Amino acid sequence: MPLKSNTQSISTSPDATAPANTTAPSRRHPRRQFLKSAVVAGSAIAIPHIVSSTALGLGNSVVPSDRIVLGGIGIGNRGSYDLGCFLDQEDVQFVAVCDIKEKQRQAVKNRADLKYGNSDCDTYRDFRELLTRDDIDAVLIATGPNWHCTAASYAARAGKDMYCEKPCTKNISQSLLLAETMRRTGRIFQAGTQRRNLPHFAFACELARTGRLGKLRTIYAHPAGMTTKMSGWVAAEAEPPKEEVDWDMYLGPAAWRPYNKQLLDGFNFEKGGGLTGGGVLEWGSHCVDLCQWAANADNTAPIQYDAPDEKGELVATYADGVKLVIRNDGWLKLGSCPVRFEGDDGWIETGDSGKFVLSSPELLAGREVQEIGGYPATFHVRDFLDSVKTRSQPKANAEAACYSHITCHAANIAAFLNRTVKFDPVENVFIDDAEANRLRSEALREPWRI
Amino acid sequence: MPTPFHFHLSGRIRLTFLLSCFVFWFTASNLQSAESEQPLIELLASDAPKADKAITCKKLAVWGSENAVPELAKLLPDPELTSWARIALEAIPGDAADQALLEALEITEGRILIGVVNSIAFRKSTGAIEKLTDLLSNQDVGVASSAAVAIGKIGGDAAAETLLATMADSNSELKSAAAEGVILIAETTLAAGDNVEAVKLYDSVRQSDVPKQRIVEATRGAILARGADGVELLVDQLKSDDRVMLNIGLATARELTSDGTTDELVKSLDQLDPFRKGLLILAIADRGDDSVIPAMSELSKSSDVSVRVAAIAAIQSIGDVSCVDTLLDSVNAENAEVADAAKMALANLSGEDVDAAIADRVEDSDLREAVIELIGKRRIAAVPALLKAANDADASVRSAALSALGQVASINDLSVLIDRVNDPKNSADAEPALDALRAACVRMPDRDLCAEKLTTAMDNASQTTKIAFLEVLAGMGGSKALETVGDAANNGNPKLQDAASRLLGGWMTIDAAPVLLELANKADNPYRIRALRGHLRIVRQFIMPEEQRPVMAAQALAAADRDAEKQLVLDAVKRYPSIAMLKLAIEVSKTPTMEQEATQVAMVVAKQLTASEEAMTLLKELHYEPIDVKIIEATYGAGELQKDVTKAVRNAVGDIPYVALPNSSFNQSFGGDPAPGEKKLLKIKYQLDGKEGEAVFRENTSVVLPMIP
Repeated sequence: MPLKSNTQSISTSPDATAPANTTAPSRRHPRRQFLKSAVVAGSAIAIPHIVSSTALGLGNSVVPSDRIVLGGIGIGNRGSYDLGCFLDQEDVQFVAVCDIKEKQRQAVKNRADLKYGNSDCDTYRDFRELLTRDDIDAVLIATGPNWHCTAASYAARAGKDMYCEKPCTKNISQSLLLAETMRRTGRIFQAGTQRRNLPHFAFACELARTGRLGKLRTIYAHPAGMTTKMSGWVAAEAEPPKEEVDWDMYLGPAAWRPYNKQLLDGFNFEKGGGLTGGGVLEWGSHCVDLCQWAANADNTAPIQYDAPDEKGELVATYADGVKLVIRNDGWLKLGSCPVRFEGDDGWIETGDSGKFVLSSPELLAGREVQEIGGYPATFHVRDFLDSVKTRSQPKANAEAACYSHITCHAANIAAFLNRTVKFDPVENVFIDDAEANRLRSEALREPWRI
Repeated sequence: MPTPFHFHLSGRIRLTFLLSCFVFWFTASNLQSAESEQPLIELLASDAPKADKAITCKKLAVWGSENAVPELAKLLPDPELTSWARIALEAIPGDAADQALLEALEITEGRILIGVVNSIAFRKSTGAIEKLTDLLSNQDVGVASSAAVAIGKIGGDAAAETLLATMADSNSELKSAAAEGVILIAETTLAAGDNVEAVKLYDSVRQSDVPKQRIVEATRGAILARGADGVELLVDQLKSDDRVMLNIGLATARELTSDGTTDELVKSLDQLDPFRKGLLILAIADRGDDSVIPAMSELSKSSDVSVRVAAIAAIQSIGDVSCVDTLLDSVNAENAEVADAAKMALANLSGEDVDAAIADRVEDSDLREAVIELIGKRRIAAVPALLKAANDADASVRSAALSALGQVASINDLSVLIDRVNDPKNSADAEPALDALRAACVRMPDRDLCAEKLTTAMDNASQTTKIAFLEVLAGMGGSKALETVGDAANNGNPKLQDAASRLLGGWMTIDAAPVLLELANKADNPYRIRALRGHLRIVRQFIMPEEQRPVMAAQALAAADRDAEKQLVLDAVKRYPSIAMLKLAIEVSKTPTMEQEATQVAMVVAKQLTASEEAMTLLKELHYEPIDVKIIEATYGAGELQKDVTKAVRNAVGDIPYVALPNSSFNQSFGGDPAPGEKKLLKIKYQLDGKEGEAVFRENTSVVLPMIP
């Protein structure tokens, strides 16, 4: 076939037949990003090692001193998947797990011990004990979203680098503190937004960032629901022994409520602070994040957020006029977590199928983009581990995660208040808007702090 | 809970529809606009349940004023409500909230006190320093540590003095927290432009007996605050045998922005071993300063592979035309890592004249193949050189040239590739020429003109080549390409018919639908089933005006004489429910072998149409009997990662064998993804009218339980 199956345009848009942009893409990349940009700038988008594998300690056999010693915090469903990606890496040694659930601790320990043929994986109920270990270089944080930012902050202050699942923060204040803490402590932080390291998403963002689509006009993100919501305070049940389920540690920074088994679902517990949660944040931390990258907006955020319209579409506007449309419908069938970028000279849409649709096949000329469906995190984990070794910033670094999360939180606030809000991404405040500004943060339950 | 409601229809038909709503332990906030403050305050003062008081605190965080502070303050000693109260008190502007928190320092202890301290820190209550200082001697180390950090967050000269004294106390258990506080003050001081004072603070921490991470943070700050004078301290870290200190050196090498820093870092490379040198080269490149290009070019000739690869990677980022020859010197390196890095760098090098400098080397015998490849990758307009190389005696050079032509040829150059495919002088050229032709054709802005050229070329082509040209046309798309492929599908030549009908079946635009339908309606066409399925693929998968889809589906149904294609019509009906589509399902049900399946689909569609009156009327034609549906067990996941979703599935069934999940995403419906990144299955054990069955459904598909004979 002339093209790979993923490269054919199925668009009925008039743009699809428009002459394609023939302007060569800019090849100058912003400072501090070249390693990551290089990944997508090559003629074949795979995920190559730019640094010598020798320098990274990735020879045929990795000596112990080249290994990154890893601990895991909150290793449930998602964490188990992430952990598998780490365990596949030759230069990782997983030595400790912390979980508030005894069954989970044991399951992870058994898995690690089976892999290494020993019984060395230690278990902890309190992650602070795990963080005191000098031999641990980095941690995988895959607790429920309630804990992410707080646990990341403790890990940073303990001198650990971290791969932290998304959503990484509960509100705007946490987003800013997260980035500030990582800068101050000199830590490497990788948000679990692994689509930044998948070839088709990286290619789509590259087309937008480098001007191949012409002047960028509108970018689209799928939030997977727009309902803002908060977890409730349900009827008290008898609390299990702490060794079995540590309810106090489970609640962590979330305001107190009595034990109820129904609440033991970290994935859904307290996703957002203030009165807002869920909503745009759930998938926005992926899709909006990709839009931020596409719009060269890793260090800023839209300045205006309109309330969702009757179709549930929410439009945010960047300072340069680019529109971010957060919508549930209107997507080509390219899998979950779709994004679409439209410029004056073309557009691209892609999703978790690994496939993408272009306004013109010429946008793909000279390129091969691997079709990787199913949103694996392997490449993202590798990016993190390389950054731990080189101290270069990974693709989903704290600064990028900060502003993609701020964008989601601000959109949620507009949805919650059901009106337009205006945001200053330099001062990080809503303009003349006390209500919105009071939703920027939420007190943590004692004794936790960021 | 799900809300059941019943339709009582005439005759034998009674359908119960469950309008399932997503019920979980979330409760959507009922607060959608500003609430009056006074009732909220009164609720706090009442005997209302704590749960109500908790949510009230959250409301007051947005809409409360100083008037709410007294009642909120009363909740601070309550271990179950203190955190809720602080949510409001942290947010309410004005001195009253500050004062309430200060007063709470006197009446709380332990964890609750820590929470109050943290809230004071969040509000940066400058008047709290004295009381927080008192807490540094609290017996509870947690309290004292929180106070130390809080003092740091609030900042100021007095705060710094207090914390420096605490940090200096060799017996203090608060060293780490005090150091954290000092660093926080130093950060604020530096941000305010007082570098001298910031250096003092950072150095105080560096010289103290505090945990290493505090030393790391202070060292970073000390380097940055010193500006250009910080390079020496930075280089000390780069030389350190302690990997942690080396790491902070590498981090600050990227952060320090003072004039002259880049030069100093480059000079320091000579002091480092290859391992450190490679890492620092990467950090220098991240600074984006092109003054280091000569140094990087020199380093790209290093005898150490890691240094060489790092330098080449740096050149890729910051290099210019002056680096072309240097990089070309490495493309044939024995070490594959070096050669690959050089090729990648050349493919991505920016700057004016880079293209010309690369193309100028095309005649260098040692570099010819690599340069030709680069011409293609960079899409350099060097067609004459490529045409010449396409006739080279060396097959690999010819192949590279043809491949590059695929990337750079214009419409006027296509004939070279077409001729090479049609009549290759050397058989080895046929395949690369065809690949190049494919690549070239999909790039052409004028697809129809390109298709015209290919169509003309087909006249004199062999059958194999004709098929290859058809494939190129299909890859391009466009009206002329469709016309040519459509003609071939009607051609008397069976092999061309086979290829063309296959290509039409995978056509990527909906204008192929009429062509496919015409083929499907030709009784003597051997590929009429394939054509019909291609038509149905468009109906099922493509974007089109919604009124067009049922029309096309009806046309397909009229042409279908096998159950397999009728099932595809039903699939389209399920995907795009509408009254028109419902009518089609009822039409399909008239085929006896399809009656049961079509009835189920009709039920599903009717339900999705929220049981409109018109849909109900149509359903009467199906003589549907309600079924007793019981869900025995349901699990969702992949491999060992399974989630029990029995309850959710039970909530989503009524008296039809259809599971109406609240969301088309199974993950959303079942409260999370039990096996992220894996292909998941929903397994259901069930009973229909007492007969037991099992069914498995792929993720996010319609869940229609198969009937049990």
